[in-house]
Amino acid sequence: MPPPIIEATDVVFEYGERRALDGLTLSVPAGSVFGLLGPNGSGKSTFVSLLAAMERPSAGQLSVFGEEPAAALRARVGTVFQENALDPLMTPTETLQLAGRLFGLSAGTIREQSKRRLAEFGLSERANDSVAKLSGGMRRRLEMCRALLHDPELLLLDEPTTGVDPDERQSLWAALLGRAGGSRTILLATNDLSEADQVCDHVAFIQAGRVMASGTPAELKQGLKRESVRVGWDSPTEEQLATVAGWAGEGQVTAHDGSVHITVDDASAFVPRLFALAPGAIRSVAIEKASLEDAYFRHVARRTQTVAGAS
Amino acid sequence: MSAVGAAGALFGRDIRAVVRSRSQLYSSILTPLLFLVFLGNGVSEGLAPANLKAGNFTAYLVAGVVVMTSVFSATFSSASYYKDRDSGLLRMLLSSPHSARTVLFGKSLAGVCIGVLQASVVLLLAAPFVEFEWQYGLVRGLVVAFATIVLLNVMLSGLAQALASRVETMQGFHLVMNLALFPLLFFSGAFFPVDNLPAWLEVLARINPLSYAVDALELAAYADGRSGFFGLALDFAVMGALAVGVYALGLARTPRLTWSGK
Repeated sequence: MPPPIIEATDVVFEYGERRALDGLTLSVPAGSVFGLLGPNGSGKSTFVSLLAAMERPSAGQLSVFGEEPAAALRARVGTVFQENALDPLMTPTETLQLAGRLFGLSAGTIREQSKRRLAEFGLSERANDSVAKLSGGMRRRLEMCRALLHDPELLLLDEPTTGVDPDERQSLWAALLGRAGGSRTILLATNDLSEADQVCDHVAFIQAGRVMASGTPAELKQGLKRESVRVGWDSPTEEQLATVAGWAGEGQVTAHDGSVHITVDDASAFVPRLFALAPGAIRSVAIEKASLEDAYFRHVARRTQTVAGAS
Repeated sequence: MSAVGAAGALFGRDIRAVVRSRSQLYSSILTPLLFLVFLGNGVSEGLAPANLKAGNFTAYLVAGVVVMTSVFSATFSSASYYKDRDSGLLRMLLSSPHSARTVLFGKSLAGVCIGVLQASVVLLLAAPFVEFEWQYGLVRGLVVAFATIVLLNVMLSGLAQALASRVETMQGFHLVMNLALFPLLFFSGAFFPVDNLPAWLEVLARINPLSYAVDALELAAYADGRSGFFGLALDFAVMGALAVGVYALGLARTPRLTWSGK
């Protein structure tokens, strides 16, 4: 097990009366792609802001590279914010020049690194266009270029692919985890579970400022039912949901916004029984292998109605 | 990575932003010049030359429009704080390895430089067309005027920065700047003599920091004596103290942004 780059023990952070982090404890191994998953308002961004020394914990111990987070440590950290942080009047080249100078790179290194990063993220041909003319996906790629420009050991990504189409998302992650990635540690704060399932080798589920579960995706999926059935089902009654939850072989049942999610041992036996239970009410059925999303719903059930907790 | 290098990078970036924002650049210079041409010529007839230290209103107005240019420039430059905050760039700057004070220093330095440049351009463009005495000689007069412009812009930049770090919205900032600075501008002797005002307004004029900038510019450019003026020693003492004090105040309170920029 590589040594941890980030260690948090019982970290508390309060915004006035509100407790955004409530005894958060986790450890991020060096070289890992660590997913911090949780619903909006669960404390993900707050935790990342503590790591970037933009805020200080109200209580608890937090270390990055074995030290308390401080402005000077940011030289070893690259950041991508949830929302764009670009000047639309600047060009990508100028954006990277400014970042390079802020991070103390020489003019030669800035030129060389800018050329390299823009090529890795497919922006070479747009290097001298104004940022205002770039698409949303290109802007996110430019932010990645900027975050990687000083070759940081730790990359903090706060929902970096929000608003990015699937093609752009794939090319962005391919560049990030390919040559551009190197052996750096990546902390990804997101609520996109499928993205985290694909790219993360360690994951922590957080809710209300506390870690509900953590481990590798495989560890978190252990003990789940084998298959996951997502059912388009308008207005299921409580009796119907209770009936489903009571069937042998069925596990976690959650209902949310006209959709019911059930983990099962064997979907082929389960689905016919479901149609028999609610004839005409089922709009769609999708069957998948148990995913990180299933593990997430097992531990984090905010804004969903959990009918049965056994799995 | 030195703080000087970082401040220098921000200085360059803010200068470039102003150069590219043509409307800001043109309006900062053209508005005062139009003010000078129209108001100067129009009011010259109405104001008795005997009441004016310069003898004619156009020459009289030059000191006022130079100060006004600096006021406009400081207002526009501090608006970049809001633009950077709203575009998210300020968050990026504050997540660099430098202190928030270094970031503010680089930005405000650019504001001072732009204000000095714009006010100097207005003075130099106006000078050939009005009758200036240059009582200390042309070169010394220009040095005095330039030093006045520098101190004035340091002070205004500090004031604008102090306000920007306390006022949440750009609209609120413009409102406060206008409410604070336009009365100061009008009762500084910039547009009309304040010698014959009611006593309470004369007191306002005397405690008005802009009055000392107008006084120094008038002494440098068109006055043909020192009678009726505060004097350069007092002008520079007041402006120097205020420039240092207000600029320090502007840098004292640094922006505090959360990760989400709220």
